[in-house]
Amino acid sequence: MTRSLVCAAMISVAMLLSTGIGGAQEKPPVKIGFVTELTGAWTFFGTSCVAGLKFAEKQINTPGKRKIEFVIADNQTSPAQSVAAARSLDVQDKVLALSGPTSSDTGLAVYGYAEQNKVPFVVPVAAFPQLTKPGSRYTFRLEPDAVGWGYAISKFVEKQKPGGTIALIYSDYALMRAITAGLKYQAPLSGLKIVADIAFPQGSNDATVQAAQVLAATPDYVVVIGAGGFDNTITNQLLDLGIKPNQIIHPFGLTTQVMNWGKRSIGSYYGTFFDSNLDALTDEGKSFVEQFIAQYERPPSYGENFCYVTAHVIREVLDKNPEAADDREKFRDAMSALKTKETTSNIPIEFDKNGARKEYIYIMQITDIVGKAYKAKQTFYTEWDPEVIPVYTLVK
Amino acid sequence: MTQSFKTGGRIQGHSANLLLLAGFAIVAFVLPIALSGNRYLAFVAGVTMIHILWACGMNLLYGYTGLMPLMFAGIAGISAYTVVDLTANGWSFWLALPVGALAASITGTVLGLPSLRLKGFYFTLCSLVIQTVMTLGFIYFSGLTNGDTGFSQIPLPSLRGEPLSSLSYDLVLAAAAVLGVMVLIAIMRSTLGRRLIAIREDDELAAMLGINVTGYKMIAFFVGSLFAGVGGALYAPYIGFISPRSFDVLISMNIWLMVAFGGRGTIWGPVLGAALLAPLSFFLQEYYTIKDVLYGALIIAVIVLMPAGLLGSLGRTPRLPAAEIDAPVPRRSPK
Amino acid sequence: MSNANLIILLSTISTGLILGAIFSLVAVGVTIVYGSIWMPNAANGQFFLLAALFGWTMTVSWGLHPAIAAVLVIGLSVPLSYALEFVLIRRFYDVPNRNISYFVLSLGITQILAGIFAFTYGQWSDQFQLPPLIGGITFIGPLPVANNRLLVLVLALAILAALFALLRYHRYGRAIRAVFQNRDAAALRGVNVKASYSLSFALGNAVIFAGGILFALAYSFDLTIAWTMSITAFAIMIIGGPGSVLGAFIVGMVFGFTQAAVSTVASPTIAAFSYLGAMLLILLFKPSGLFAR
Repeated sequence: MTRSLVCAAMISVAMLLSTGIGGAQEKPPVKIGFVTELTGAWTFFGTSCVAGLKFAEKQINTPGKRKIEFVIADNQTSPAQSVAAARSLDVQDKVLALSGPTSSDTGLAVYGYAEQNKVPFVVPVAAFPQLTKPGSRYTFRLEPDAVGWGYAISKFVEKQKPGGTIALIYSDYALMRAITAGLKYQAPLSGLKIVADIAFPQGSNDATVQAAQVLAATPDYVVVIGAGGFDNTITNQLLDLGIKPNQIIHPFGLTTQVMNWGKRSIGSYYGTFFDSNLDALTDEGKSFVEQFIAQYERPPSYGENFCYVTAHVIREVLDKNPEAADDREKFRDAMSALKTKETTSNIPIEFDKNGARKEYIYIMQITDIVGKAYKAKQTFYTEWDPEVIPVYTLVK
Repeated sequence: MTQSFKTGGRIQGHSANLLLLAGFAIVAFVLPIALSGNRYLAFVAGVTMIHILWACGMNLLYGYTGLMPLMFAGIAGISAYTVVDLTANGWSFWLALPVGALAASITGTVLGLPSLRLKGFYFTLCSLVIQTVMTLGFIYFSGLTNGDTGFSQIPLPSLRGEPLSSLSYDLVLAAAAVLGVMVLIAIMRSTLGRRLIAIREDDELAAMLGINVTGYKMIAFFVGSLFAGVGGALYAPYIGFISPRSFDVLISMNIWLMVAFGGRGTIWGPVLGAALLAPLSFFLQEYYTIKDVLYGALIIAVIVLMPAGLLGSLGRTPRLPAAEIDAPVPRRSPK
Repeated sequence: MSNANLIILLSTISTGLILGAIFSLVAVGVTIVYGSIWMPNAANGQFFLLAALFGWTMTVSWGLHPAIAAVLVIGLSVPLSYALEFVLIRRFYDVPNRNISYFVLSLGITQILAGIFAFTYGQWSDQFQLPPLIGGITFIGPLPVANNRLLVLVLALAILAALFALLRYHRYGRAIRAVFQNRDAAALRGVNVKASYSLSFALGNAVIFAGGILFALAYSFDLTIAWTMSITAFAIMIIGGPGSVLGAFIVGMVFGFTQAAVSTVASPTIAAFSYLGAMLLILLFKPSGLFAR
């Protein structure tokens, strides 16, 4: 509560400064271009991100403040369409900044456009490290990068079982390659051994044989990262063959994924950056979860949260720096100087020189699945500097 | 080949073609200047120019030689990746462009070899497999292609140390499209063009008349792939981003659709098709839900209602049964 | 042989059988349509996905038992096929060399269905998973296999067997086969060629639908499965010989085993390259396929 009061106070000061005393002058809304996946393979992520964004949009546009309008454009989960949409938003809609892509390849496409054309780009959820590679100037990312997740998972296993063994089984996508690259780099440093490393080409159907290979390697933990529906197939087939749920680590878990894994996965671990079961939810975080459940009949996960937080971050930057609302360079500088916290979980947000954030992960363990919701307990939390391991050279 | 193909077979009035070419050149060069105030529309026009170039290449193969290569986009991709790799290693874009285009041409010629044995549907299917393998390859050989994350921030080429302005590059694209149409007109005026049409109409008969069918098909693939390659090389820095999906089978299908929709085997049909369909996907950006459906419906409409395409249908005598035209399979199918 | 290796071996066999049976079903469906009306249906993967999605809606949203849903889905394919046949397919029956027109037509259908799926089902694309037909696990030696997957395998093989019997012994099947072999001769012998065309189009699609719903019962899936399946079914049909039901069955089984076994010796990516390569070679050197009629 105090937070919101402080916030409100700050905002009123900012308002007084910007609009002059009592002068409710009407400025045109600040437009933010939101290029995301409304159709195509990644639709489930893009649409849930927009759901989170819509929640925030209502809250941040309180009367008396300069309106922030999110112009949403579909990229069909296609990088080329993303660039086209970014260009249209930049030139036609004259947006202040770009945001939105939730998959790494569409994110990279917009990143290229933004850096080349000096448009600030706020990335809610896209984890490929290259989005904040050294020299990035206009891009700011809320989600920790995927190579770092691999680092963190090694740290988790190191704590759970020093000297343990890990099997990797994953689809051959950029995101999965990034996670496993970090894991493979950090594992020996953490005194762990990788005993199986199995990648599936895109479009695989069955993982029984590979699950048997994993079983034969007798690992302590199995890291499972399937793409789309294949994730459930791998998980089910590992469990079918007798791998125990508490041996399975999913580097990331959205609400829908946890529900898909279902009751038989109770005991499994998953990584996340926000979860309805977190100990550290703020009041605002709790109310976000409640309202989200009321509307969508499921708790929000980190994707929705990052998109929700993105809107709040932009609001905060504009409230503190009203002059940034019409000037991209000033907006970039304000983003770069920002020191704040996620309104939902109080995790600090600060960007380094490349626009990467001080990174963190929660590892949760699924404890129950009831109806349309699940219970999980937080078993591990760690933070790290974005360049704790050479993330930008491990994957290109 | 049992069907005759009147529109293509008839050598169109050359002076009319030259007039149209002059008109097209004026539009192509004036458009970027007129639109320079709005970078977005100028960009749409630029992308359209690249598609016009591609459509000319596809037209040479599909319209004039009677082969439907669904790996066309993959060939363009070979050139785009070559140029991006070379420029990243310090090459000048203007030197990398001919190398990339040549690489595409050679690849295209080699991948066109199956057309010597396979006709019609069998070649098309074969090209679909080749395209699929190429897309897999673009993902798999990530050392050269960056895998499915692709290359971003590809800079516009520079001239004498100065990066080109967007407007100058738009003019380069316009020049490429105009040049493409000119080359196509020149080819169709030459013996080469007439022999390609003869091969399309009936390759056995053509061979009996002493035409070197193998050689001419290879030449068609070489030149057609050159169009693909030049377009691909120009495409990469213009969009600023390439990935395997920039050159997948859907792109091949779209280029094919531009040719079939505009009127294959005519000089201006595919140009019109590209000019109408390439901008469409940008203007339909907001109607994303219907875009795929609309494209699919267009494909079906072309096949069912106007197999000769817009221009083909206009200049056609109505005595040919409509559906027969789109069946460039010889009597002797390869079964 | 150690227990672990035995499990790998047995799992390769079980996976090969299940995948092979489903691949065979779809390829047989595609080859029946190609063999009769000469339509290389590139939209087969979308039909396959349509069946799977219908199954998901019926079980997860409507709460039907998966067995009932499976029957409904396969039944539904019949009116859908006849409608499509009536609107589009029959326009080309008398066109010579119609296979390329059909091919392009089916690519258009692919595009339309893909567009429709994207904005109807796309938002749930990470959660397509059907409840199992039956629960429980059976041990085959040391290898535990879910009963559900065994039942799917049995059903797939049963449908294949029924198809063979139908084509060989029933008079409808004999009529279809007569038209397969020689349309004019069949017409002279009093077979209603057009009726047999619509029948085989519907039959082929029903088999593809059966493959789709069985796949959905055995595996989780997403929207990307459609295009992969299209290419796979085409590859099987081409290698087996277009129009050859036996060829589609045998090559489909080989494909299933290849996909299952290859990762024990090489990377699974090699499998994708290898079957596409095999298809190219067959196309080039024996376009009539290995089991030409």
